[in-house]
This record gives sequence, structure tokens and C-alpha cells, in this order.
Amino acid sequence: MGTVLEYAWLVPVLPLVSAALIAVFGKRLPWHGSEIGIAAVGLAMLLSIAIAWQTFVTSPVEPLELAYDWAPLGGGTVLELGMLVDGLTAMMFLLVTVVSLMVHIYSREYMHGEVRFTYFYAMLSFFTFSMLLLVIANNLVQAILGWELVGLSSYLLIGFYWEDKSNQDAGNKAFLTTKFGDVGLIVGAIVLAAGMLELGSTTPFNLLELNQAAADGQLGQGTIVLGILLIFLGCMSKSGQFPLHVWLPDAMAGPTPVSALIHAATMVTAGVFLLARLFPVLAQSQTAMAVVAIVGVITLFFGGLLALVQDDIKKVLAYSTVSQLGYMIAALGVGGYTASIFHLFTHGFFKALLFLGSGSLIHAVHSNNMSDMGGLRKAMPHTFWTFVIGSLALAGFPLTAGFFSKDEILIAGDIWAGAGFATGNLVYWVGLAAAFVTSFYMARAVFLIFFGETRSHHAPHESGRWMLAPLMVLAVLSIVSGYIFSPFWTAEQNFETWTATPIIDEEATFPFADHGAEAAGSAVQGEGVLAAAPTLAAEGGELTILHGAPTWHPDLLLIVLAVFGLAVVLAWRSYGHGLPERDPTLHMGGLSTALVNKYWLDDIGYRYIVVPVRDRWSAWATWTSNVLIDGAVGGVGRATKALAVATYDVDQRVIDGGVNGVAFSAAWWSERLRRLQSGDVQRYAGALVAGVVVLVLAVALAR
Amino acid sequence: MSPLGPLLLAALLFSIGVYGVIARRNAVLVLMSVELMLNAVNINLVAFQNLLFPAELAVSGQMFALFIIGVAAAEVGVGLAIVFNLFRNRATVNVDDVDLMRW
Amino acid sequence: MTAHDLVFVIVGLVTAVSAILVVTSRHLMHAALYLALTLTGIGGVFLVLGAGFIALVQVVVYVGAVAVLFLFGLMLTRAPIGREALDSQNRGLGLAVAGALFVLLAALIIPAFGGESTAEVTGPTIEAIGIAIFADWVLPFEVLSMLLLAALIGAILLARREAGESGTEAEVTRIEMGEALADEPDRHEAVGTSAPAGELGAGGGR
Repeated sequence: MGTVLEYAWLVPVLPLVSAALIAVFGKRLPWHGSEIGIAAVGLAMLLSIAIAWQTFVTSPVEPLELAYDWAPLGGGTVLELGMLVDGLTAMMFLLVTVVSLMVHIYSREYMHGEVRFTYFYAMLSFFTFSMLLLVIANNLVQAILGWELVGLSSYLLIGFYWEDKSNQDAGNKAFLTTKFGDVGLIVGAIVLAAGMLELGSTTPFNLLELNQAAADGQLGQGTIVLGILLIFLGCMSKSGQFPLHVWLPDAMAGPTPVSALIHAATMVTAGVFLLARLFPVLAQSQTAMAVVAIVGVITLFFGGLLALVQDDIKKVLAYSTVSQLGYMIAALGVGGYTASIFHLFTHGFFKALLFLGSGSLIHAVHSNNMSDMGGLRKAMPHTFWTFVIGSLALAGFPLTAGFFSKDEILIAGDIWAGAGFATGNLVYWVGLAAAFVTSFYMARAVFLIFFGETRSHHAPHESGRWMLAPLMVLAVLSIVSGYIFSPFWTAEQNFETWTATPIIDEEATFPFADHGAEAAGSAVQGEGVLAAAPTLAAEGGELTILHGAPTWHPDLLLIVLAVFGLAVVLAWRSYGHGLPERDPTLHMGGLSTALVNKYWLDDIGYRYIVVPVRDRWSAWATWTSNVLIDGAVGGVGRATKALAVATYDVDQRVIDGGVNGVAFSAAWWSERLRRLQSGDVQRYAGALVAGVVVLVLAVALAR
Repeated sequence: MSPLGPLLLAALLFSIGVYGVIARRNAVLVLMSVELMLNAVNINLVAFQNLLFPAELAVSGQMFALFIIGVAAAEVGVGLAIVFNLFRNRATVNVDDVDLMRW
Repeated sequence: MTAHDLVFVIVGLVTAVSAILVVTSRHLMHAALYLALTLTGIGGVFLVLGAGFIALVQVVVYVGAVAVLFLFGLMLTRAPIGREALDSQNRGLGLAVAGALFVLLAALIIPAFGGESTAEVTGPTIEAIGIAIFADWVLPFEVLSMLLLAALIGAILLARREAGESGTEAEVTRIEMGEALADEPDRHEAVGTSAPAGELGAGGGR
């Protein structure tokens, strides 16, 4: 065994070669370089499938680590360049290469005729390489290298249409915001490496050694908390966690395939991936896990609310991505390692599907706004059914991939609560509430886009084969990818054994949770569990979580269905008949456009939720039993909407204002500091020598 | 013989060179000051070699001094060529007149 | 204090004083000549230290070639001859930085090497140096020769007059030569066709 795994390094190398070839020869080829990208990523995908198969059927596998010494770090320690192949790597490989291949194929048609078509493909391949480099890394420094490279590709692709100032600004915002977190990441990596050095490690950045040392309790508690929280800062910025999510919606300025690949399916999950990689370290500290869980909960709820009030379809999806990333992070914070990366896996497919679907719509109506769409169901049947499947998966409709993975997260929260941690309850209940919000905004989007009258000024047309084929592949994956960790899957190997590492699987101990293990175990057994039945067991005095195969739990299945149904019914009542034409007097009555735009969000909330509810109140007056329910439903909708608008305001004013303030103060200081650059080289030389004198003096005095 | 004398002399010459580089206007004089600094280093290298490590077989100190002399010759050649070019284009060799790269 | 030390003190003093004059002299030519003296003095220091071969190279390369190159450079760039402000406005900065540097270096050197002393100075023989160059150091040596070649070509390329340029620089050069120019009126007329010869001649003679 292991023959395929040893060639895993080829997976990132292929896209790198392809990026170079496209850059050099792309323009001269008949398809302007896209054939190289598709071929290379396709090969990488085949190899990834082989690796995934190999690791899956023999799971749980021993991680395969191959590394050679890259550079000496002094003191007998070395920095390695190597690869670490285990189930987690194989899973990410599969996700990244499949989505990347789909986006490569899709972009052939979507980007057709663009001036920088070849450049686009080179960057797409380069991004794929960077992401795979991050995934395959066997040490933190290499991971940071890939991390920064994906940031660079993301920056370049957000600003792809750099002729527009706003697109440049969006790219800069994304770069600066993520860079803020990267500082934390780098310092955190050094803190952990310093801890490893104290243990006498010769490869202080090695991930496996780090995890092992942490699981064995050799690392100090202070080192772990400081290190993992600083790294989490990096994860927050990259994975769009509140309040560092502000760049993600703006990043939608890039081409839609880029949004699908980078800002939905892969790059933004890098933070989740890294945190999952370091999960044995994270699991050592209750403080760190609580922080992670709370940040995740805030993000998953408020991110979802923001999606309610958007008109731009890509912004809806962007905020929903923020929300789903919040789920993943929150799951890690409540010990749901498998749940988190399972959701990462399925979310990658259905969110890429939704973005590519929205790209197909934008292609057809030449507008991002849902108010310009409507009634597209007949004109674009294939886009319609794939988009609906993606929406159902995102909303967690039973038997789709999103259902199994999202419920797994709720279960993780429930178990955690059963073990006596309050954050578990938080994740469970807020996660359930956010599931309602998710169902509502996706239903709203689907109704506004595909139902009612067509509001587009163009004649919408179905996209071509190159765009539809990826949609269909992803639609199938959006359903079936969930089944490898569902009650239907009876094989001994499932997603959990696949992605488990020896450290994480049986020994994922939480040393701080050593109280009343038996009581906790029984409590968890009694709690409602949706689709899986993990059990708690006491082993050697420490609490150990052993997950088993998922099983059915009809009671909570019903709750989920009820939540879903309520949300869809509510959305249908508001948007099911298309966007009702606005009051004509509003336009002719002398109200300025600015005012209309400013209150437009409130307008939707009032006109399409409150007014229908109030009007039907009288129509349904005879149905007295329904009256109370109706009022409650309307109230919930209105309150939710108001909360969402308020959150959006905070997001735009306070957080964006903060970011802009930083930029302005930088401008103010540079205005003054630039006078230092006098052009007088002798003054520079003097400053240079003076600096040397000070440094030498400092070193001499320090001795 | 103590290495103190040569080392102090070298330190003095180096500091004089630093002063010259910072304070002189004429580019050729600046180049001369750079030569002073290079020579100060050579004194150090030879003093270390002959006074502290006389038995070293590879003669590293003196070799470095030789190489520095060679590199310095090349540096003077190119440096003066640049000064000529500057003179031809700007009709001046004063370093403080050449401040295009400023805010 | 041995005779050896005494010789070093004398040579060192000469070197130091002439080095100071290099950076303080108000006459460009004098500065260049002091530089030649300083370099010779450093050669003397090498001799005292027992490095005869380096001393030889020092005199041949530095005093023989580099110092002359500097003189040449001063003349070619119409460097003003005579007293004038050769210092920039950074004198104070230079003095402060250089002074601080020297004090720092001395404060570090004296405690570090104050106690050490060797009875007699024995440098490697020239034979040992030759063997070292062509055995241990042959690759750097060859690389250095390539560097010199590259510098040679680079210097020529940089200093070369462009194809279409007129001969004004040649005229300018001769102004600097002052007295010598007056002795060669024929050559002046022959070359200086593109420039007002009379004016230049008058300027040069002044």
C-alpha cells in the first residue's frame, strides 16, 4: 500500500506547471490556454480520486509523511519541505481539485471573449496550486507559504477587472483584512514552534509532532492558548469570521467563477482546515475552544441575517458563506472535528454549485440583482433545477448533503452540552435558529429569481454546455457527497474513519473535561440526536468522544422539517408571486432616488412581509385558528428583518468605518513621513551607520 | 606585538572613511573615502591572520585581503565610470545636487 | 615597547594623519595625493605586520593604479582645482556618526584584545600564499578574474561617449589641464572644431 500516496506531491505540482505553461504559451494556443488548465487540473483530480480511494478503503490510515530538509534553522533544528498525506489531506485534495476542475471547465464559456482570458486561467491554476500546497504541508511554515499564496491569488482575482476603482478597493480590502489576521497566524506558529523547541524537537514546525506533543499533554497550557488563539486570528480573517468577514462580500467584485472557487468552496475554508489540522492542540484548552465556539456562533447567526436584506444574488451567497463558515468554526469549538470538516466537504460542493448557478443567471440577465431577474424557471430549466438542489442542500433539506453535515454540527453541539459545556447549547440552539434564517433567505432567492414575472430587460437564455455540465456534476455531488456519513452508509469505513488521524480518532481527549464522565455519557444518550449517534465513554479517567455510525432520530428530523417548512412558506407568501410592482406614486411623488435607495431595505421588509400579512389578516379572519399563527409568523419575520437591517448597518458603519479609519491615518502619517526621503544619499548613509552604531551598542550592552 | 595597535588604526581609518562618505560633496572624494574604509578592513584581516592565527594553512585572512583589493579595483573602475556618466549628463559631480529620487 | 612596535607607531601615525587630510583637505589634488600617501602607509603597516606580499600588492594596485585612476577621474570631471567648499551640509552628521562609531569600536576592541600579544610576528611565506591561492582558493580566484573583466567592460560601456555625441567633453578636459593646454595650440585647434576655440583657450589660460 501507499504507492499512490507517495505520488501525492504531483497533485499540487500539476497546477503549478500548468500555470507556468499557460503564462508562457497560453496566448498562442487555440483555446488560449484553457486546455492546459483543464487537462492539468483534470489529471490532478484523477490522482486525488485515487488517493482518496486508497485512503478511504483502508481507513483509518496511518499518515504518510515524506519530507526533506529544506533549510537549517540553527541549533540543530531544520525547516522541512514535505508532504503529509492522510484522510484530511485526501478529502481536501478531492474537494479542491473537483471544484477547481468544474470552475476551469465552466470558465471556458463564462469568461469567453475576456481580454485577459489567458491571464485568468493562469491565475486560476496558480490558485489551485497554492491551495494544494497549503493542504499538503507537513509543517506550519509551508502551510503559511501556501496560505499567503492563496491570499495573493485571491487578491489578484478579486481585482481582475482592475479598470474599476471599486474592484481595486475590494481587492485591497480583502488583502489588508486577511493580512491583519496573517500576522496573528505567523506569531502563533512561532509561539507553538518555540514550545516544541523547548521539548527538544529538531523540526519545531512539524504538524504531526506538534499534534502528538499537544495530545500527550507535553505543551504548556499558556503556549497552547496563546499559540492557538493567535492562529485562530489568522483563521478568522481568512475564513471570514465576525468581525473580520467584511472583505468577503466585497470580494464578490471578482468574476463569478472566482467567487465559486476561492470565496466559497476552497480558500475561505483554509482557516477551518488549518484549525482542524491543529485540532489536537485546540482540544487541549477549554478557553480556546470556548472562544472559537463563540466566534463561530456569532458569525453563523449574524452572517445569516445579513444575507436576508441583500438584493445582489452574489452578496446573498457571500453572506451565506460567512454563515456556513461560522457553522464549521463553531463545530470545532464544541469538539465536532468530523462534523466541521464534513460540512466543509459538502458545503464546498453545493456552494460552488450555487455560485456557478448564479453566474449562469448573471450571464443571462446581465445583472447581479434579483430584482432584475424573476420568472427564469422556464427560460433556464437546467440552471433552475441545479440551483434548487444547491439551495435545498444549503438549507439542510433532508436527504441532501447539507442535511447530514449541518445536523452533524448540531449534534456535536448537543453532545458538548451534554458533557456540561454551555457553548454546546449555544451552538445547538443558535445553529437551529440560523437554519431557519438560511432556509428563508435561500427560499427568497429562489422565488425572486425563478418565479413570478420576468423583470429582465434582456431575453434570458439558457447557458451552453460548458457551463451546464459543471452545474450538473456539482448538483449530483451536492446530494451524494453527504451519504458517506449518513445512516444509509453501512460500510465499516465512512467519512469519520476516513478523515480521522490516529491522534484525533481514538485519542481526541479533552483533558479539561474529566468530571462525571459516566453521568455525561448517559445524558448524551438520552438527548435527541438527529442523524448520528456518537457516544461518550470514559477511558482511563479522561473523557473521550467516540463517534459511531449515524442513525435516524425521527423526533429531531421533524423539527428540522418544521423549521424548513415554516421558512419556505413564509418566503413563498412574501415573494412567491414575484416582486410586486412598486407603488407608482413612490416614483412620481417627488421622492428623491437617494431616499428610495436608502430606505429600500426597510421598504422590502414593510411591503412584502408586513403588508401581505396585515391584508390577509382580514381575509383569513374566519380562520380564527390560523390568525394567531399568522401573526406570530409575521412578527418573527419582521423582527428578523429589523435585526438584519440593524446588523447590516453596524457592519457597514462601525466595522467598515474602522477599516477606512486605518487607511486614512496611514495616509496622514505618510504625508509627514515622506519628507524623510530627501533624496540626499549622504544623509541616508549617515542614518545607516547611525543605525549600525545603535544596533551594535544594543547587542554589546545586552551581553 | 599586540593586535591592539593595528585594530585601533583600522577603526580610526574606517571612521574617517565614514565621515568622508557622509560629509564630502564631490563624488570622486566620496569614492576615495570608500577606499579608506576598504583598506581599514584589510588591516584588520591581515592583523588577525598574522597575529592571532599565524599557523592557518589556507591563509584565509590574507586571501580575503587580496580579494578585497581586487574587488576594490573593479569597484573604483565602475564607480568612476558612473561618475563620468553623471558628469556628462548633469555637468556636476556633487552628490547633493543629484536628488531626483525624493518626494 | 620593542623596535617593531615603534616602527608601527610611526607608520600608523603617518597613515592616520594623511587619512584625516584626505577627508579634510580643501584642495582636490591634495586630497588625492594624501590618499596615495595613506595607501602607501597602509602598505607599510602590512610590512610591519609581516605580510610582505600583501604590502607589495597594495603598493602596486592601490598606489600604482587606483590612486592614479582617482587623479585621472578628478581631472576628467572638471573638478575645480583650488580652495573651495568641498564639504556638503552634512558635515555635522558625518562628524557625529563617525565619532560615535570610532568610540564604539575602540570601546569594544580595547577590552577584547588588550591582553593579547604575540612575541614575534611571523606571517606565511609567499610560497605558502601561492600554494593557497592555486590550491584552496583557485575557484574564487578565477571568479574574481571574471569580475574584473566584467567591471572592465562595464566601465568602458558606461564611460563611452555615445556615437552621435560631439567632442565637447574633450575640450572640457583640456580646460582642466590648464597650463598644459597653452603649450599645445596646434592640437587644440585640430580637435576643437566644434567649439569656440578662442573662448576655451582663454578660459583655460586663466
